[in-house]
Amino acid sequence: MKKFLTTVMCVFGLMSVAHAETFTFTAIPDEDESRLRARFDKVATYLSDKLGVDVRYVPVKSYAAAVTAFRNDQVQMAWFGGLSGVRARQLVAGSEAVAQGYEDQFFITYFIANAKTGLSASDDFPSGIKGKTFTFGSKGSTSGRLMPEFHIREKLSGSPDDVFKKVGFSGDHSRTIALVQSGAYEVGAVNFKVWGNEMKAGKIDPSKIKIIWKTPTYPDYQWSVRGDVGKKFGADFKAKVTKALLDMKDPDLLSSFPRKSFVPAANSDYKPILDVGKSIGLID
Amino acid sequence: MFVAIAVLGLFLADLEIIGADPWSEFGRMALGAVTPDFTATDRLFDAVLQTLAFAILGVAVANVFGFALALAFHYRFVRVGCAFIRAIHELFWALIFLQIFGLSPLTGILAIAIPYAGIIAKVYSEILEEADPAPARAAPSGSGAISIFLFARLPDAWVHFKHYSLYRLECGLRSSAVLGFVGLPTLGFHLDSAFKQGSYSEVSALLILFYIIIATMRYWVHKRLLPAYLIAAVIALPSGVSISMTNVVRFFTEDILPHPIRVAESIDGAVLEKLWDWIANLLITQAVPGAFNTIVLTMIALVGAGACALAMFPLISPKFFGKKGRTIGHVLLVVARSTPEYILAYVFLQLWGPSMAPAIVALSLHNGAIIGHLIGRHTESMATRSDSPKGLNLYGYEILPRVYPQFLAFLFYRWEVIMRETAILGILGIPTLGFYIDSAFADIRYDRALVLILLTAFLNIGVDALSRRIRYRLRLKTTLNHA
Amino acid sequence: MSLFDLRNANARYNGAAVLSNITLSIAAGERVALVGQSGAGKSTLLRMLYEQRAEEAALLPQELGLVRVLSVFHNIYMGRLNLHSVWYNFINLVRPMAREVKEVREIAVRLGLEEKLFEPTGELSGGQQQRTAVGRALNQDSDILIGDEPVSAVDEHQSRVVLESINERHKTVLIAMHDITLAITYADRIVGLRGGAIVLDQPTAGMVPSDLDDLYRN
Repeated sequence: MKKFLTTVMCVFGLMSVAHAETFTFTAIPDEDESRLRARFDKVATYLSDKLGVDVRYVPVKSYAAAVTAFRNDQVQMAWFGGLSGVRARQLVAGSEAVAQGYEDQFFITYFIANAKTGLSASDDFPSGIKGKTFTFGSKGSTSGRLMPEFHIREKLSGSPDDVFKKVGFSGDHSRTIALVQSGAYEVGAVNFKVWGNEMKAGKIDPSKIKIIWKTPTYPDYQWSVRGDVGKKFGADFKAKVTKALLDMKDPDLLSSFPRKSFVPAANSDYKPILDVGKSIGLID
Repeated sequence: MFVAIAVLGLFLADLEIIGADPWSEFGRMALGAVTPDFTATDRLFDAVLQTLAFAILGVAVANVFGFALALAFHYRFVRVGCAFIRAIHELFWALIFLQIFGLSPLTGILAIAIPYAGIIAKVYSEILEEADPAPARAAPSGSGAISIFLFARLPDAWVHFKHYSLYRLECGLRSSAVLGFVGLPTLGFHLDSAFKQGSYSEVSALLILFYIIIATMRYWVHKRLLPAYLIAAVIALPSGVSISMTNVVRFFTEDILPHPIRVAESIDGAVLEKLWDWIANLLITQAVPGAFNTIVLTMIALVGAGACALAMFPLISPKFFGKKGRTIGHVLLVVARSTPEYILAYVFLQLWGPSMAPAIVALSLHNGAIIGHLIGRHTESMATRSDSPKGLNLYGYEILPRVYPQFLAFLFYRWEVIMRETAILGILGIPTLGFYIDSAFADIRYDRALVLILLTAFLNIGVDALSRRIRYRLRLKTTLNHA
Repeated sequence: MSLFDLRNANARYNGAAVLSNITLSIAAGERVALVGQSGAGKSTLLRMLYEQRAEEAALLPQELGLVRVLSVFHNIYMGRLNLHSVWYNFINLVRPMAREVKEVREIAVRLGLEEKLFEPTGELSGGQQQRTAVGRALNQDSDILIGDEPVSAVDEHQSRVVLESINERHKTVLIAMHDITLAITYADRIVGLRGGAIVLDQPTAGMVPSDLDDLYRN
């Protein structure tokens, strides 16, 4: 018994040992984890070179976990989606969106359908999806949940639960594609960038699955930094990080996102996302 | 009557299998199962280590506090408190602590230690109650309550404590592995990724490792090695995540306050009205449908588990099969009961899509295997006439009538466990209460999550009380060490 | 002055009378043997007597009251639990001290248990267990011993050792037993029970076993 107690003491003792300042960041898990890890470990190395401090990527299992880690200062920076970024910055006073991908200024969600449904591509909202089975991506995703749900509510005038036979949340965009391709769901909503990535990786069989609608554009992914990084890493640290992100030119790195380049961003760019979030009840 | 409720439940449940081509996926899974790839995850060794570390530390801490609580179990508030903390599944605890401590080791340790302390307190107090009272009576008067406890009651109970702790450690390993699904760096973390990416060879490697750890437990768990394990576990835990008190304070003073109150300047009538709307909305759109689905699924799974148990126990009973047959039976049952139902459900979900069917099959198989194992063991010591019938007649006329009371006792004992698991399976997308809890966490609405978690806790406590009353009325007794 | 006093005492078990109208007085220093057929009420009478002196008497119950997972040493040590502090007891539970082992060993040697001193009592034979329980009573700091069939499972030679040791250690001895010869040898007063009543109460001086035949006649 006493042994247990001593050991318990040790646990708490060890955990309180302070660690050398490491700049940590995370990213919402929107794709296959191995791919994320490969990409962001490279980003960590790149930033470490540029900033002269230890930089570490912390993988998380959910969008909410990314927001929480940012909020709890367990990471100081994160690669968020539109919705998760808005949520995170609401929770952390002084935090800022500092950079977004060039494409993130005009992001798109694809509605995709299994070939067996007989649905075909159209410019207008595909009302034929009513009554089908439908899968979103993660519950906290902008491109996989927020925007598609917004359009569904607007065009089919009802909540997803009302207008579809069954609604699911696949967890991430790669899964959404896999589930619609296998027929587990008839229709789904997917981030157009991940669609492109999966297409390049040869994981999409065009005879089984196709795009039936493209949403209007909206702002999405961005790098957000906590307001208090200056205290830990030096007053000009935020500016240095921003510059390092905007200067990222390595085509190999950029194509892993995939983004053409990174451009400056501001919190105000995401006002539309906040409004949509409130309008469909995802943000209080 | 329970069967009737379950049949009724079947009509209410959504059982549709929507995988258009589940068998090709199943084929890939089967192929993966026979071609395990131990090199797929570079962090495999680390994951195993973390799984062990969280389990060992969590169970150790739970033992200390569970034992202390067992000594105070005659106080009503201790009993109620323990019932409450064990009514909340470790995954929910983990989700709560993730918000407070983030990915710090404390999250994993507490997520296991808290509900386990509640369970251990109950079981240990029962063990102490059943200890032979004769030695205490024979001790000289004036010996002092503590000395008498140490010599006359503790030693007897100690043996049971050890067995039970070992069993808890096995449960702890399962829990620890499953905690990976919400982000802790244990086997579940990699299982989740491997499943999502369809790398079934990696999945099977991870599961095989997990079975090996559990199957070899009795060889590596040794009293003298325990201190070494505890120290090793502490060292093995991930470091580098510090805990900030402000997060802890904020969680309790802000995050969990219902939204209307949190944003209000002062509490007045308008705020209370909004609060009422908030509660009503939460109840109507989430709590009621969630609770309904939880109950429907629990009832079907309970009867399913019973059916599975009755079908499976002969597989390991010497009354029905020879040595070779039983070995196969044992392997089947070990796999079915060592695999956490969460993982079983996950596999079936990949195959059949998110209806209740995968959850029912997973819960029935897992719990059926546990009960089947206990009943099968029970038949070993059972004497039958040498001229007794064989095969189905033996089953129907000789064995079944004799094991039936025991079987019912175990089944009702698992009722609450099944209910707790049912809620958790919501995280996988089946619309039980867990689904709405997971959604609330995903939306960073801890106020809602907390209300729903409290609701699941009360449901569990209710079922636990009901099952206890039924067992009492049917005069059923379960042996202690198989909770 | 008598240590034990019963006047017209009665006892019932599940509604049936077990003892009726018992009047008995035992003085300090007496060695009393209770004899009679099984079911005659010996155990019940012993329990009633024990309750009168529960504070000071050493009890040797029929079910022995051993802690089966603890060793012979620990079980005998238990006789002195009341003399030490909790910590002292705890230390001896985890790791017996040399001083205590020496004292307990003396008792164990006498009872022929020396080789089994550190074996769990649950693994001993019935006779060895019974002697362990006797050892616990001997170790107890008490002038009074109340024993229910303390030699029922040990052989004749061991029985004599046990009863001699008890007589040496305890001043007042109350023992229920079925071996009449031993009773006459080691007690100085015999109380005979039949059907819940005292039918015989005599000193043993000059008594021969056949004097007690009436008690066992059906």
